[in-house]
Amino acid sequence: MSLIPAALATATGLGVAGAAAGLVLPQRVRGAVVGVLTAGVGVAGGASGVAALGGSRWSAEVPGLLPLAGTHFAVDALSGLFMAVAGAVVAAVAVYGVGYVAGHGAHGLGSRGAQAVLPLFALSLLLVPAAASVSTFLLLWELMALTSLLLVLAEHRARPAVREAAVWYAVMTHLGLVLLLAGFMVYAAQAGGETFAALRSGSGAMSPAVRGLVFVLTAVAFSSKAGLVPLHAWLPRAHPEAPSAVSALMSAAMVNLGVYGLVRVGFDLLGGGPAWWWLLAMAMGGLSAVYGILQAAMASDLKRLLAYSTSENMGLVVLGVGAAGLFDHAGNKALAGLALAAALLHVVNHSAFKALLFCAAGSVLRATGERNLDLLGGLRARMPLTTGLFALGALGAVALPPGNGFISEWLLLQSMIHGLAVPGVTTAIVLPVAVAVIALSSGLAAAVFVKALGVGFFARPRAEGAAAARESPLLMLAGMGLLAALCAALALVPGLLGDGLDRAVEAVGYPGTRPVSGGGLQVRLDEVSAVLSPLWVVATLTVALGAVTATVRWAGRRRQRRTRARLWDCGGGAPTPRMAYTATSFAEPLQRVFDDVLAPEQDVDVTPVRESAYLVERVKFRNRVPDRIEHRLYRPVLDFLAAAGQSARRLAGGSVHAYLGYGFFGLVTLLVVLVVGW
Amino acid sequence: MSESLFTQLLDLACGAFLLAAVVVLWRRELAAIVRLFALQGLALAAIALLLGLHEDRWDLIVVAAGIGALRAGLLPYLIRRALATLVTDRAQGQDQAAYTHSEEVRETQPLVNVAASLLTAAALTLLAYAVARPLVELDPTPATRALPVGLAVVLIGFFVLVTRRRALAQVVGFLLLDNGITATAFLAASGVPLIVELGVSFDVLLAVLVLQLLTVRVREAFGTTDIDDLRELHD
Repeated sequence: MSLIPAALATATGLGVAGAAAGLVLPQRVRGAVVGVLTAGVGVAGGASGVAALGGSRWSAEVPGLLPLAGTHFAVDALSGLFMAVAGAVVAAVAVYGVGYVAGHGAHGLGSRGAQAVLPLFALSLLLVPAAASVSTFLLLWELMALTSLLLVLAEHRARPAVREAAVWYAVMTHLGLVLLLAGFMVYAAQAGGETFAALRSGSGAMSPAVRGLVFVLTAVAFSSKAGLVPLHAWLPRAHPEAPSAVSALMSAAMVNLGVYGLVRVGFDLLGGGPAWWWLLAMAMGGLSAVYGILQAAMASDLKRLLAYSTSENMGLVVLGVGAAGLFDHAGNKALAGLALAAALLHVVNHSAFKALLFCAAGSVLRATGERNLDLLGGLRARMPLTTGLFALGALGAVALPPGNGFISEWLLLQSMIHGLAVPGVTTAIVLPVAVAVIALSSGLAAAVFVKALGVGFFARPRAEGAAAARESPLLMLAGMGLLAALCAALALVPGLLGDGLDRAVEAVGYPGTRPVSGGGLQVRLDEVSAVLSPLWVVATLTVALGAVTATVRWAGRRRQRRTRARLWDCGGGAPTPRMAYTATSFAEPLQRVFDDVLAPEQDVDVTPVRESAYLVERVKFRNRVPDRIEHRLYRPVLDFLAAAGQSARRLAGGSVHAYLGYGFFGLVTLLVVLVVGW
Repeated sequence: MSESLFTQLLDLACGAFLLAAVVVLWRRELAAIVRLFALQGLALAAIALLLGLHEDRWDLIVVAAGIGALRAGLLPYLIRRALATLVTDRAQGQDQAAYTHSEEVRETQPLVNVAASLLTAAALTLLAYAVARPLVELDPTPATRALPVGLAVVLIGFFVLVTRRRALAQVVGFLLLDNGITATAFLAASGVPLIVELGVSFDVLLAVLVLQLLTVRVREAFGTTDIDDLRELHD
């Protein structure tokens, strides 16, 4: 009896129990009980994931559960990696959620419906990677989409924007499902079976055109779940409008499954493919990385900023996945394994810091009622712990040492740079561009998170909400603390993940290169001779930082007199918080640099005093950075659909006979076609 | 019961079943249409009974009894009651005999006239036979050979729904459709489980109750049951 089935059964039981508890229990105890059960789901699912990473495998068939097809489950190290990540995030966010719900009353996330759905969402996040047949996978995938949609809708009473976001999310996720369904149907029909084992063995005999079709359909569907440009439109809408605990789950666990699907289908089931597949993936990934972080740099809404940053990080991951496929196609398995390992490690790192950041943003939102960075500020003194936790998460996100994001992006860069050894014109062009994309996006990421932290948390409060902020309750801090511990562990001793990551890469057929091994202290690349010791980096940085601080302190103490005085204000009166540096002003230089890409819209409206044209009564300035891709790509489609709908109204004239007639003639025509076509 | 007798009786019942549907298209009086519907219900019950006797299945015989009671007894009774309500409402203060032939109880102007309707019924029956051919070939027993009759009644019922103006004629069309579906189920699968038939029957009963109520209300609100006068109800 291995650990995996027991843990998965426990998780399922706890999830169902949690859903029932959410439905039945009174509001007083609902949040706590559901939170504990959901955390249990996370722990159990995470445990099975860790067991799979440790080398155990499990597969089972439950024939009676679904009509016709039955359900199939299989857990290998690749599934295990995603299950472990989801489990850890779910467990920590559930603890956070108990505190989050406690202050909210019976509305929003604390409502009966939302609390009943939350454990099911957590459960589906854990079970999707364990599915081993098309029908099982799609069923769980849809369960995940529907439960997350209901959770996004949780606060619809409070803000009308939630409904619009939910409609966008519902439409995009179901378009993705349709593509996925089409792709898998073609695949299953050609392979002659719908279990993953049948797909795996059947893929070799399929024609290249069919394989390409299957890959494109599924890859586009998975990319929409991962929030890649140009199918990202739901992400910056749904993530900010969802309750923060749900945003954390979606951004840190759900989008990962898009990557999981891409790796599972592209590498494992289809067994790799021609170069153009992977160039397509790299193009989407690279575009998302740069465009996502640029939009994040322009965003003033804290959660929108984080959502766009998710798009960027998923872009980097898919860039790595695409590079792995490209190397594999060129025959260099070792490099392919390295690039894939880097991508998977980045998935893990991103989940840790993004869950932490969303939770911290939720704490800020709860304490101040504001998401707009322009109206925040001054939180360092009022919410010191949350500020510290956000800073830790931001450190991970900026891809600089000693953050955890640095290690995976460094690995990604190493694999790209050494990929130039692979001969071919394509690689000679694509890889340097990819290196530039990674460098550009991590540079911009630094600016983005300096903005979020500096403008949002430091300086003086710029609005009443921020001035009245109080530190979050203990449970929220505890949840964030767990995530922070994960971030720190990943930053300091990534080697603990070493063997597991290796097995995950081996699960899809590459030799493990053991990129993060060496007793947990070193990142050593045997193939390309590069070494990194995160712990030493951190130690050196700490010592250097301490030395600098001590020197400054010492120098400051030598100067004897220190007087406090008002800031010189040119005689214009004391500076008010309105004059402080805001997120918009911080982003302005970047907006200038990328003016051609972003195409910002600016309006200046000057109203002079009636008596004199030279005296100005009022100046109104408006600055908007619309999502340009969304504008160009989605608007025409939406307009067309609306026009088609309007013209179709003519069919509905109001006569019942006409409506019945449509059905009748439809049926008869169909039958006639059947008869003639037989 | 011998095989040939079973086949002949089954064909007879199916013939009556189809004929009742066709004659519904021919008659204009709603009362006569309801009588035909009751007759069709009996034919359907006979089909179920014959199948039950042939295969020695007591549950099918129970189902047959239930179908007979519902489709030849209860449903026609309910429709007749609705018809009576319409008549007495209109007849208040008027000569009862003068009203009996008024337009409320007659399908005076169907959207497709009677001759064309009968021709269409023939075409639909042909279509049903053509469509069912591959199904019959799968397992050619006497029951499956009669399968196209069920499909034909489904199509004719649908046709009644599309072309008849009076709300009660539409109800009968809907019930013809349902009879056709039930007959198809019996003939294709040699009978449906008791629980399924129970559920379907209950559904039909509820639908008729609702439609009966609706018809009377429509008549009270608009003064007619011609559903083409309801075209203001769209958005």
